[in-house]
Amino acid sequence: MHILQRNKLAIFIGLIPALIIYLTFSIIPIVISIYYSFMEWNGFGPMEFVGLQNFIDIAKDPIFWKAVKNNIYVVLASVFGQIPIALVLALLLNRKVKGAKLFRTIGFMPVVISTVVISLTWNMFYNSEIGFINRFLEGIGLGSLTQNWLGDPKWAMISVCITIIWQFVGLYFIIFLAALQNVPGEVLEAAEIDGASGWKRTIFITIPMIWDSILISVILCISGSLRTFDLIYVMTNGGPAHSTEVMAIYMYEKTFSSMKYGYGSAVSLYIFVFSLLLIWISRLLLQRKSK
Amino acid sequence: MLKKMMSKAIALTVIMSVLLLAACGNNEKSSGSKDGSIELSFWNSWSEDSPENDVMLERVEAFQKEHPEITLKMESIPPDQYKTKLKTQAAGKQLPDLIQTWPGAELRPLVEGGVLMPIDDIAGEWKDTMIPSDILADYAIDGKQYAIPGNKVFTSIIYYDKDMVAKAGFEEFPTTYEDFKVLVEKLAKEDVNPIALGNKAKWPLQSVYMSTIGDRVTGSEFLEQVLAGEKKFTDKEFVDALGIMAELAELNAFNSDANSIDDNQASDYFLQGKSAMFVNGTWALSGLISSAPEGKNIGVAKFPAVEGGKGEPGNVSGVTGWGIALNSELSDEKKEAATTFFKFLYSEETYQNLMGVGTLVPADVEVPEDTSDLFKEVVDLTNEGISPVYDAVLPAELTDIINNGLQAISIGQSTPEQVAKDMQAAVE
Repeated sequence: MHILQRNKLAIFIGLIPALIIYLTFSIIPIVISIYYSFMEWNGFGPMEFVGLQNFIDIAKDPIFWKAVKNNIYVVLASVFGQIPIALVLALLLNRKVKGAKLFRTIGFMPVVISTVVISLTWNMFYNSEIGFINRFLEGIGLGSLTQNWLGDPKWAMISVCITIIWQFVGLYFIIFLAALQNVPGEVLEAAEIDGASGWKRTIFITIPMIWDSILISVILCISGSLRTFDLIYVMTNGGPAHSTEVMAIYMYEKTFSSMKYGYGSAVSLYIFVFSLLLIWISRLLLQRKSK
Repeated sequence: MLKKMMSKAIALTVIMSVLLLAACGNNEKSSGSKDGSIELSFWNSWSEDSPENDVMLERVEAFQKEHPEITLKMESIPPDQYKTKLKTQAAGKQLPDLIQTWPGAELRPLVEGGVLMPIDDIAGEWKDTMIPSDILADYAIDGKQYAIPGNKVFTSIIYYDKDMVAKAGFEEFPTTYEDFKVLVEKLAKEDVNPIALGNKAKWPLQSVYMSTIGDRVTGSEFLEQVLAGEKKFTDKEFVDALGIMAELAELNAFNSDANSIDDNQASDYFLQGKSAMFVNGTWALSGLISSAPEGKNIGVAKFPAVEGGKGEPGNVSGVTGWGIALNSELSDEKKEAATTFFKFLYSEETYQNLMGVGTLVPADVEVPEDTSDLFKEVVDLTNEGISPVYDAVLPAELTDIINNGLQAISIGQSTPEQVAKDMQAAVE
């Protein structure tokens, strides 16, 4: 420790490689993006400065607001779907259950499978003509419940959200499990002696003890959901008729299909601001509770 | 001890990072080495395992054997991703030496961005000798030639199961839209899916359907006139054309999962006999021929004539493709190597091989004897006239709007009037 403190220069030199990579691939692109967002630019032709016009156009585009709304659905589904399910699973598996390791592996599996594989597999599940879900419903005599899961604008977003929940439950599950295992046994024993057992112990002792992990998970969850792109892109490509379009897909379409790089950069700034805003709100709400 | 380790660690990190940065800086500018060999980087979309792609790859391989002094560094990327990659890399000015491109709306921004080199001095080799100049003009922007076309693609051919259509009471494929609707209704009534559609990628309804249907109703000049400001998308003729799309959707002409499957899956529906028709481009032809089950009686037809429409009922929407453009920063040495390559690639042998596997070509060469009958039928079907393909003519933004608009129409989420209005707003 002392040696390190004396060698400030050494520390700095050691940090340089990481810093350079971080700057070139994270910070500088954000700055360039801000610069582009004030331009009208097709990607390679000459740029034209248009001031705030891109931002105004985006705010006026109903499809953008639809994408925002869909994105909020994804955030809500993730925060209120993934986290509670993951927490319950973690609490269940934190005790001595037979085959706990097996369940842990199964739970974590979707996180390591490539998103494209997940999307294609679920696409087959949801397919309205040959898909497993509709076939199953028909098979057990509930044919009236079959839906055009991904092709009907009413159901498409719900179907996509279910897949997103399924995909990431495992990640938060592992985070919670790790946190639960760090809860000191003495505290739990003390609670036991004071008469808190079962539900009471879980709600008043265990959960407050891992509250920081929950907070981190919520933030990860929100920022992850706001960036969500690949799964929806492969499953529905934002369709049908924009019904599953989220902000990242809107940005991608505008930038690379419509060739409006300036406009796309402005959209990415909107995403950036929305993310900061949502994370700030959630911190405010959750932090107070923990104190 | 610790200090020693620290300094070693630091030295190592510094070396590593220098190496890393050096690797980043190496821009592969090292071509034309001393022994006279030339390396050309070359991007194309021949990644899928299809007979026509194989022909092109075989020709490239043959070229490599014959010209060991020129090395082609190829990268093959699936078409949809390729188009995106092209635009992104062009934005970063990181294009390879040889770039496969599509004409019209895909080519224009690249030319206007100044990343491509005109090849008028080379094009004389083909002009009017092997390729008619009006076809060559597909790859010309403002009078300058940028590539030689390798294939010719018609985007809307109706492939149909002759037996299923005959069962619905049509010995011959309907030639008027009214009859066509009767056919669709009859098939739907018999619980047969009339047309297999895979529209997840959103372009099929536009490029495959609307290009020809639009042409039937509005005539071939319409798009140019709209872009020139002489006509409007909100004009009755265009709204009527969109109305046909709405009508087909209303008649349940398409499979219910049309917007969540891709066109390969749709072609499977057709081949498995779930659907009576499959509308797609000539690019689907060789695949259909090679994977059709024994005894499947496939016929080809054009979209029927629409009563009162301004277009020629003989036209099919089409465009040339597989042109390879040159990077504008190419050295003379490399350009010469590229010319050698073009002469080898765009030769009679390539065109004939392509025809042999069922690909239409822009060149005037004889149809080989041993091609399938279906291919000959398609050649006959498409030689009456060619009309513009929507996404080859419209700017990218409009293509995006009509793609999404047609998808919305197909599920009843939007109306022809609304889509026409959105498109016109984008023009203005």
